[in-house]
Amino acid sequence: MNSRFACKCAAAILGACFLLLPVKGDDLRAADKYEEMINCDLHSGSCIQPLGNHMLVLSVSPRPVKAMTDLMFEIVVKGDAKLTGLPFIDLGMPGMDMGKNQVTLTKRGEGTYTGAGVIVRCKSGRRTWRATVTVPGIGSAVFIFDVIY
Amino acid sequence: MCGPLVVSFSLSLRDQRAIVPHLFYHTGRILTYMALGAVMGAAGSFTRIAAHIESVQKGAMCFAGLLVLLMGFAMVGWLPLGRMFGSNVRAGRMLTRAFQRMAESKAFFAYLPIGLLLGLLPCGPVYTALLGAVRAGMEIETVSGSILLGAVLMLAFGAGTVPALFIVAKLTDMGWVRFRDRLYQIGGILMIGVGIYFIVGAIRY
Repeated sequence: MNSRFACKCAAAILGACFLLLPVKGDDLRAADKYEEMINCDLHSGSCIQPLGNHMLVLSVSPRPVKAMTDLMFEIVVKGDAKLTGLPFIDLGMPGMDMGKNQVTLTKRGEGTYTGAGVIVRCKSGRRTWRATVTVPGIGSAVFIFDVIY
Repeated sequence: MCGPLVVSFSLSLRDQRAIVPHLFYHTGRILTYMALGAVMGAAGSFTRIAAHIESVQKGAMCFAGLLVLLMGFAMVGWLPLGRMFGSNVRAGRMLTRAFQRMAESKAFFAYLPIGLLLGLLPCGPVYTALLGAVRAGMEIETVSGSILLGAVLMLAFGAGTVPALFIVAKLTDMGWVRFRDRLYQIGGILMIGVGIYFIVGAIRY
């Protein structure tokens, strides 16, 4: 092989990596196109999405919401809703299939359901996650938010 | 993350029989998954165990990066390490064919501990599978049942990943390509980049 060619390639790769090393994770956030899809800030409080003729409120504790920790998910279905089953939450990342990570919810009060779950960490460093809340008999609502690693 | 690793192994094995080392690697990887599933099933918690092994995972990622980096250097010819994992194992004229096969398999056996360690690499789908195993284990009344179920579920998950990775490895086998020596050298350069990427990822994880 042409050793000059190999040296140039290796130097280019090494140079690119040394340039990347000092770059902090926050600086790369701007490049994450999925961040534009964020419609919710769970670190500050609850999020609300329309669900048919009702409103769906999602909150997660403890805050701020961290990956790889035990989390409690709570949803409130506002309005007189006739459910055909227990709601559930599918956790995933926009644009990446991480497998099925479903939080089953149990009834805690009128229109209120809670369940325990974990948001796993993505090795890529991406922190944008999606919670699809399905309320049987009514529909689904999607919440897209950031988590802390 | 498994994809770049199996590609790197395939490239470094070159014209050698690649099925056996890949089998050893996947066996080691799946054994680690099963152990994690069993431990998390017993503990009834994913986050507690994950927190304990985080530093080990960083180390595994760093090791994977160094391994691929060295393989890349060897492929390009900058380091005489091509014989490390059994590539170009030569038998003398006095050795029988059976002994040569044994010598090769002894070298290929090194892929088993590599698989055991690299099964700890941080991986979102693996985490999700472990979560599922823990949740399923919590439905079982006995601890031994939780352990067994956790291990079996992770065995099923790991086995499910093998066909795709074998296909990836097979596609990398360029024995039929005309200018494969040049392609192997380019592959070596790319492996150096992948190795650096893994190491940087380990530092930032």
